[in-house]
Amino acid sequence: MEHTRHVAYLLALLLLVTSCADRHSTVSNQATTSSAQGKGARIYRDQCARCHGPTGEGVAGKHDEPLYGERSLESLARQIERTMPEDKVGTCVGEDAQAVAAYIHTAFYSPAARARNNPVKIDLARLTIRQHRESFADLVGSFLTHRVATTNGGLHAEYFQSKGMNKKERRSLERTDATIDFAFGEGSPAPDITADQFSIAWAGSLLAPDTGDYQFRLTTPNGARLYLNTDLAAGDANRRDDSDAKRQPALVDLWVSSGGMVREGLARLFLLGGRSYPLRLDYFKFKEKTAAIKLEWKPPHGVWSVVPAEVLSPERSSSVAVISTSFPPDDSSVGYERGTSISKAWLDAATKAAVEGATYIDDRLDALAGTSPNDTNRVVRLKAFVATLAERAFRRPLTPEQRLTVVDEAFGAGVAPELAVKRAVMRVLGSPHFLYPELGQSTDPYTVASRLAMVLWDSLPDSTLREAANEGRLGSRPEIGEQARRMMADSRARAKLQEFFHHWLALDEAEDLTKDPKTYPGFNESIRADLRMSLQRFIDHVVWSESADYRQLLLADYLFLNPSLAEFYGASMPTVPGFLPVTFDPSQRVGIFTHPYLLAAFSYHKSSSPIHRGVFLTRNVLGRFLKPPPMAIEFMDDRFDPSLTMREKVTQLTSKETCMACHATINPLGFSLEQFDAVGRFRTVDNRKPVNAESEYTAPDGKVLHLRGPRDLAEHAATNPEARRGFVRQLFQFSVKQAPAAYGSETLPRLDSAFVKSGHHMREALAEIATTVASHGVRPHTASR
Amino acid sequence: MNTAATRRAFLHRLGVSAAVLPFVAGLPQLQAAHTKAPKQRIVFMFSPNGIVPSHFWPEEAGVDFKLKRILQPLTPFQDRTLILKGLCNKVRGDGDGHMRGMSCLLTGIELFPGNIQGGSDTPAGWASGPSIDQELKQFVQSRPETRTRFGSLELGVAVPHRADPWTRWTYAGPNQPVAPVSDPYQSFELLYGQMKDREDLGSILDNVRDDLRQVSRYLGKADQQLLDRHATLVRDLEKELQTSHKQSLAVPAPQLEPGVSADNDDMPRAAAMQIQLLVNAFANDMARVASLQFTNSVGQAKMRWLGIEEGHHSLSHDPDLNEGSQEKLVKINVWFATQLATLAKKLADTPEPGGTGSMLDHTTIVWTNELGKGNSHTLDNIPFVLVGGGLGFKTGRSIQHELTPHNRLWLTLAQAFGHDIKTFGNPKLCAAGPLALS
Repeated sequence: MEHTRHVAYLLALLLLVTSCADRHSTVSNQATTSSAQGKGARIYRDQCARCHGPTGEGVAGKHDEPLYGERSLESLARQIERTMPEDKVGTCVGEDAQAVAAYIHTAFYSPAARARNNPVKIDLARLTIRQHRESFADLVGSFLTHRVATTNGGLHAEYFQSKGMNKKERRSLERTDATIDFAFGEGSPAPDITADQFSIAWAGSLLAPDTGDYQFRLTTPNGARLYLNTDLAAGDANRRDDSDAKRQPALVDLWVSSGGMVREGLARLFLLGGRSYPLRLDYFKFKEKTAAIKLEWKPPHGVWSVVPAEVLSPERSSSVAVISTSFPPDDSSVGYERGTSISKAWLDAATKAAVEGATYIDDRLDALAGTSPNDTNRVVRLKAFVATLAERAFRRPLTPEQRLTVVDEAFGAGVAPELAVKRAVMRVLGSPHFLYPELGQSTDPYTVASRLAMVLWDSLPDSTLREAANEGRLGSRPEIGEQARRMMADSRARAKLQEFFHHWLALDEAEDLTKDPKTYPGFNESIRADLRMSLQRFIDHVVWSESADYRQLLLADYLFLNPSLAEFYGASMPTVPGFLPVTFDPSQRVGIFTHPYLLAAFSYHKSSSPIHRGVFLTRNVLGRFLKPPPMAIEFMDDRFDPSLTMREKVTQLTSKETCMACHATINPLGFSLEQFDAVGRFRTVDNRKPVNAESEYTAPDGKVLHLRGPRDLAEHAATNPEARRGFVRQLFQFSVKQAPAAYGSETLPRLDSAFVKSGHHMREALAEIATTVASHGVRPHTASR
Repeated sequence: MNTAATRRAFLHRLGVSAAVLPFVAGLPQLQAAHTKAPKQRIVFMFSPNGIVPSHFWPEEAGVDFKLKRILQPLTPFQDRTLILKGLCNKVRGDGDGHMRGMSCLLTGIELFPGNIQGGSDTPAGWASGPSIDQELKQFVQSRPETRTRFGSLELGVAVPHRADPWTRWTYAGPNQPVAPVSDPYQSFELLYGQMKDREDLGSILDNVRDDLRQVSRYLGKADQQLLDRHATLVRDLEKELQTSHKQSLAVPAPQLEPGVSADNDDMPRAAAMQIQLLVNAFANDMARVASLQFTNSVGQAKMRWLGIEEGHHSLSHDPDLNEGSQEKLVKINVWFATQLATLAKKLADTPEPGGTGSMLDHTTIVWTNELGKGNSHTLDNIPFVLVGGGLGFKTGRSIQHELTPHNRLWLTLAQAFGHDIKTFGNPKLCAAGPLALS
């Protein structure tokens, strides 16, 4: 929600305030009026146009809201009958209302009419922040062996008996350690190892769940070094740490102990979500009295805790090139982030990022370019490296002119080759060919590859795609679809889908879940972090199951809980660490609607908020259209009769007819979740009165549904075509960053029917979106060689 | 790749990488305001494994003395040199001789007990107090008239990539070793990187505008507007960069030869670059205090460029009677003295910016060592050679103290800087007060 929380939505009528029509006003451009619509057009011209404008665009000072919406024809007619013209309600009824409604609906009101009147086109767009970061990571990664850790469960551990300070004499134990949280005390960590001198080497990967700042804390009275996202070189494998081996700097260096004192080392690192990062922890004890070591973190949206086993992998992975320059937020005024605007702050950030990226590459130049300082062919190899880098960044082969300007000119006379590379890389990263993924080139196989990578990964084509483009194997829809489905299995698609769900469920706008501690004792930071994890687990579980059925998201009767959540929400589960699915009474909990995280996010500090819940359900889940409220009214709890329930307060607050235009939709949806308090616990009593969760809800087709609570609501959502189409539309907008209609008015209906055919398979939906977008404008006979 | 990869991380630690600095917002003040009082600067230079006493210490005390072989490179500066014999590192406690020799040298205080062991001595950890260079840095930075961009610079030559009491000699405080920058390109990045990035950027922005113009041709009107806006902003950025370029340095950033590694075999070239960068940074008044650390305690430099294949530390263990080894040790120490002379010469050749005389007249270099002598591991008679003026000491002398704790020298330096402390390091070792060097 782009509104401040604690503000109620009071939406004015969609059709409003028509004053006495001026019967002598001139007829304006109504050339489209057919004879069948003549009557409706006349009525509109005579009674409505004065306030709504000749084509529904609104009239400043009278009614400046454009006249459009998503009501059905019947619903629109009923609304006119009930409310219009404002000063003479009741004069436009029956056939007149039908006729004018039909005219309005067809001429400009309906989405189809709007699409026809204002054809949407594909906007030129620069990379979004996410696309920029992901692209750079994959650009650099494309020059290294791509190794991703996929399993989790802990780190590979080797325990050694030491001889002297840290000379590994004998390996006594090899296993996987779920977490690093050991207090060996004065004892030995493993059989066959003496207590006074030993060392342990942990290695594997960290799987970062989200993009953002991570903090790490290493605690030990002994010696330890933590390496993260560092490619360890040959010398680093030497575990004799009194050696002269050159090594990478540690993220946290606590190698030297100090009088047996327990020391803490802190570090902060910006990581991209959905990727794995190489991690190594070297540890030794030498004659200190006690031994202990603990590795903790504070992930984005999380709290300090021991790094859990589910984000640790015993597998190795390659390092990730992360741009940490901070960008101004992308424009999301249309409901999804897109790169259609340019600001000074953005250019500054993009330029800084170009410097950061060039420095990153310069620092690792020999490894990336496959050369060495003494290589007699160094300059040749560096030039080839720059050319390849530019091709990958530009997502297509260089023109001879580009090769000259980007590569050859940089390596001018008197310029050191390293400096030439650095400048060339800056130029590549600052170039419109990198920053704008599609610059109006013909739809050739390279464009297809670029679109696939952008839609599915927010990134650059990988080597398989590049090869397919080079060999002209992206010229037909089946070929493109095959690539899309291959790419769906990649962890980058997983990360992108995760981002979509964060967006769809408005998770990133609901950062602050704190509630009044007196009313909700125990709803602390750690419960809130666990809830977020629980929701994430649920989504992962459904989305990455074989059926990936969208309806499961809405209908599941279980939540993922850990023991502390189970205790807080009054569920019983085995007290094992970690999250497990826990089944609830199906009439109480049903899918994401009743996930406590969302219920709490869409609540006030002390009480539930049917309005926030209702708006979220209307827009995001049921895919219905709501205009922003014309005026925002603060919900002030102390203005109400203190004996009222929340439902009664909201009913009273929104009772005006002008409000009810939208609140007639919002309120019943919100009321059906009134059995949940502000922290999402089930309740039957609100303010000492029984909770009433039953309501009458008018569906977009005009049918009135009697909702008895969350399950009825969920079942409606799971079978309602508008809700389903709304889901597909939002997935499209988020992944493509353009409107579906820009690819043709039939795009959304086609994707929707494919979605139904696939059994509401969400991953398949994304693959189909990518295929559709990538194939747009492709002519098979010219595109394939 | 290994050394290069450390650079960004290092800069990140200092918080000065291109990524985090606003590079258009104007340079940080590169030059402190000129002040009436003459500048005072100090450089601490380290070499390891002791010296060869018979070829080092002048026989004579007083103003009339003859430089022995190792110190002969200092001949041009003999009248500005102060040779202090008889100073001893009297700090005892945990740690082997090398460790204490290194980590108690500038700190004058005991090591914490710890887990780092050399030979069969008691293991130890970091020093339990700050080093004199960091003490002086804090002092000059605390006063507006002596404050500079960095305050102090910690440079190294071939210092290994590991942090322990053998590789660290400067400390910001207890348990707070300061890592030296051992790669000249890293030093350059630290001192001038921000400007350099700006220059490089300036050189590409023009091309970016060309590219924008080119691609704009294929686009529709609305899309062209977006690229036009992009191009306008690029133009604005170019202008800003040009304006900020006008803030210039007293002396330009040095041109470094490319391709020098921070490894053993490139030590001579790396040393020359670090010395050049140090003098240059002083000339631009980026710092008043510096340290220059050649290798580390137990350092194993293999000075192949002198025809010496063995590691320095291994040689230093050979007995006095092994003439071959002694000769090599003399040569190694002559090489270090030559580096000192190079530094002194560069300072002497540079007129003091905004002042009188040469920069050497306002700078004191202190060359010292972790040990007195390698094969005995003695911490007595540690070499302390001071070159240059600015602290008001009477130079051109050889002074032979009775065995005296070296803490008193650090106290003397602090007071010469106007930093009125009564003790430094372990107070017991300063009981007799400062040395009379003026």
